[in-house]
Amino acid sequence: MPRELDPTANEKSFILDALNQKLRIDGRDLDSFRELELNFGDDYGLADVRLGKTRVLARVSAEVVKPFADRPFEGIFTITTELGPMASPAFEPGRQTEQEVLLSRLIEKAIRRSNALDTESLCIVAGQKCWQIRADVHFLSHDGALVDASCIAVVAALQHFRRPDVSIEGEKVTIHTMTERVPVPLSILHVPICVTFSFYLDGEVCLIDATLQEEQLRQGDMTITLNKFGELCQISKAGGLAINALNLLRCAKVALVKVGEITATVQRRLEEDAAVRVRRDNLLESKADNERA
Amino acid sequence: MSRYEILSPEGLRTDGRRWNEIRRFSAKMATTTAADGSSYVEHGNTKVICSVNGPIEPRAANARSSERATITVDVCFAAFSGTDRKKRGKGDKYSTRPIKSPNLPTYQGGGGALLMGRAQSKRRVLEMQSALSRTFASTLLTALHPRSEVHISLHILSQDGSILATCVNAATLALVDAGVPMTDYVTACTVASYTNPDESDEPLLDMNSAEEMDLPGITLATVGRSDRISLLQLETKVRLERLEGMLAVGLDGCGKIRQLLDEVVREHGNEMARMGTL
Repeated sequence: MPRELDPTANEKSFILDALNQKLRIDGRDLDSFRELELNFGDDYGLADVRLGKTRVLARVSAEVVKPFADRPFEGIFTITTELGPMASPAFEPGRQTEQEVLLSRLIEKAIRRSNALDTESLCIVAGQKCWQIRADVHFLSHDGALVDASCIAVVAALQHFRRPDVSIEGEKVTIHTMTERVPVPLSILHVPICVTFSFYLDGEVCLIDATLQEEQLRQGDMTITLNKFGELCQISKAGGLAINALNLLRCAKVALVKVGEITATVQRRLEEDAAVRVRRDNLLESKADNERA
Repeated sequence: MSRYEILSPEGLRTDGRRWNEIRRFSAKMATTTAADGSSYVEHGNTKVICSVNGPIEPRAANARSSERATITVDVCFAAFSGTDRKKRGKGDKYSTRPIKSPNLPTYQGGGGALLMGRAQSKRRVLEMQSALSRTFASTLLTALHPRSEVHISLHILSQDGSILATCVNAATLALVDAGVPMTDYVTACTVASYTNPDESDEPLLDMNSAEEMDLPGITLATVGRSDRISLLQLETKVRLERLEGMLAVGLDGCGKIRQLLDEVVREHGNEMARMGTL
C-alpha cells in the first residue's frame, strides 16, 4: 500500500520550532485560510475550488427518478467522493480507505444531514417522480484541508446549479429543456462551511487550514461545520490530542468569523458569475420567477 | 416536535430523571477469561461488553509501527441489540444489519434506505471504530510497546442511546483490567439540548434513545479529572451559543462517570486482593 511520504526529521523540527514561535512556513497567520479561489464552469453546477495547492472540483447533476418508498414526498440527494491517485500518489483508485470513509461521512453530515438542500422541493409527483441531485466531488490535488475545500466546492456548486423546469398537467409531466424555459435554481436552506483546526505542541498552537505537511505533523484535529447564522451543523473531534474545553469554544467562535468570510466570498463569486452569464446569454428578461404565458 | 414530552413542566424527563442525572450505571471488570482484559457496562438499557487483547504481535502487517503500539478497534452490534418498534427506525443509527423493510424510515436527512442502508451503517461503524482508536491512542502510553498491537473488541448487546460514550467507558475499564499503561481514565457521556417552550435552552445529561432521536446532542470524552476533551461529536444542527452550556454539563457528567468507573476499579482491586490473586 503506498503511503504519503512523512516529513523528514529536519522538516519536522523546523516546522514545529516555527510554530512554537507562532510562525507558519508559508508566512500565514495561525488562523487564516490560504487564498480561496473559486471558479465556475460554463455549465451550471460545476465549481472548482482552490485553497493554495489543494484543488477540488464538484459537479452537480440532476435526473428524474422514483423516490424512495419510505419518503414519497422527498427528492434524493447524494454526495459521492473518491480519492484517486490524481490527488496524491498515496491514494489508490477504487479502494475505500479509512480516510476516504471518514471524509465522505464528514461531508455527508455537514451538508446532507444538516438539510442544506431542501429535498422536499425536489418532489415532482409524490411517490412517482422526483429529482435526484447528485454531487460528485473530485479531488485534483491534495495539499491539506480536503474537507474544508470539498465542502466549499459542494455548497458553491449546489448554489450555482440550475435544474430544468418541470410542468405538470394531470398525469403528464413535461421536463423543459434549458432553451425552452429558464432553468430553476435549487432551494438551498442554509450554507454550511467546514473549518478544520489542527492542534500542535500539546494544544498551545491551533492552526486553521493546515497544509499537507502541517497535517502530517499535527497531534489532533477538529472539524467544525457552521453556517453564517451561527448554527452548528456538525462537530467532529475524533480523538487525538485532548483539548481544553475553553480552547474548543474559542475555536468555535473563530470558526464563525471564518465561515462568514467564506460565505461572503462564495456569494460574491456567484454574483460575479451570474453577471457574466447575463451579459453572455442575454438573460436579463428571462428569469425563472417571471410570469409564465 | 414529538407527541410525548421530553421534559415535563415539573422538570422530569420521560424516564423520571432530572436534567443532570445519569441513568443507572453498573459495570464489571474481568468478565471474560479468554481476553487479557474485559469489562461489561450497563448504562441504563445500553449494554456493552468489551474485551482487550494486547499488547500482542500485530495481526496485520500494516498495523506494525516501529515507534508505538497501534490500537485497533472492532465494534460489533448484536443482531438483537435494537428494537422493532417502528418509531425507532430513525434511531437505528448504529445497526449493522442491512435495512430491508421498505417501510422502515431511515435516519433524518432524507431517504436512502433501500439504496444505501447497508453501506451507510457500515461506514458509520467504521467511523466509530476510528474515533475510538484515535481517542485511546492519545491516552495510552503506546510508545512503551513499539511493534505491537492493542486490540479492543466491543460488542453492543442492547442499544438505548449514548452508545459511543458507553463504548468508551467499557473500553477504559477493559484496558485497566488488561494492564495496558495509560495516563488516566477516558470517560464519556452525552448531553442533549432541550428547547423550553419559552425558547430558552436546557442541557440534559445522558441521552436515552428517545431523546437522541428528538434532540440535538453531543458526545464528549474527557481525560481524567481535567476538562480536556479528547472526543467531541455533534451530528445535528444546534445554535452555537448552546454549545457552552452543553459542554459544561458534559464535563460535569464525565466527572461523575469517572468516579463511578474509579469505584468499579477499586472494588475489583479489593476483590482480587481478598482472593489472593494480587
